[in-house]
Amino acid sequence: MAGIQVPRNFRLLEELEKGEKGIGDGTVSYGMDDSDDMLMRNWTGTIIGPANSVHDGRIYTLKLFCDLSYPERPPQVRFHSRINMNCVLNDGRIDVGRFPTLGNWRREYTMETVLTELRREMVSPANKKLPQPPENTNF
Amino acid sequence: MAAAQAAQLPRRIIKETQRLLSEPAPGISASPSEENLRYFNVMILGPSASPYEGGAFKLELFLPEDYPMAPPKVRFLTKIYHPNVDKLGRICLDILKDKWSPALQIRTVLLSIQALMSAPNPDDPLAENVAKHWKDNEQEAIATAKEWTRLYATM
Repeated sequence: MAGIQVPRNFRLLEELEKGEKGIGDGTVSYGMDDSDDMLMRNWTGTIIGPANSVHDGRIYTLKLFCDLSYPERPPQVRFHSRINMNCVLNDGRIDVGRFPTLGNWRREYTMETVLTELRREMVSPANKKLPQPPENTNF
Repeated sequence: MAAAQAAQLPRRIIKETQRLLSEPAPGISASPSEENLRYFNVMILGPSASPYEGGAFKLELFLPEDYPMAPPKVRFLTKIYHPNVDKLGRICLDILKDKWSPALQIRTVLLSIQALMSAPNPDDPLAENVAKHWKDNEQEAIATAKEWTRLYATM
């Protein structure tokens, strides 16, 4: 069945509908910013910090930008909420060299994959004990 | 690459595509994209005596893996003021959902969309505010639809 590729816009509509229904236990979620944008480029994602880490219970907001090359190319992702993580740069952007989901992007990955993997990173040994900026502050 | 793709394409889709190209329905054109033979660029001319008359409306259509057991996915790319089309161009049409049957085709779907443009159905709305406008003041809603046609659907 190789070769059947859902084109960008229909792929994003699928992601939109999944996001509107709600994903799993709600620890990650996302939605579209501008309901008038037929190209569906700007999205806001949310990650609830995982237990057993300094992020426990914190709510992180992220901005995802899906340009016309998505999902051939990864979305541009940055944290809006301040966070200290080894794959997050000083301005909130993701260091793709330290975050393989974006660095080694595959077409079948989705915004949900990005958010879920970032959440998983939060409990990695490198990240789970890093000192954090005050809660509810933004880049 | 297109030839290799075509080799994998179900015969039914090849047949439908050939017929769409050789005998297009009046006011409708649909052609597969070069990179993805399941993805069609569609143009529907606004039906005469409808608020969309004089406009050329672009749509996109995709045949999912389980087509024809599942319906095609279709949406407007041109902005249109219509009670059954939302801001993202998604279309509320029964045959695209629970009334789909594998006996239907791309052609029938596009003809149904063209018919929906002629006969907006504000009682089964997708765009609530547009449907309300249609019910409260049909003349004014039609005027808005004409204006949008002029603004967004004419070259």
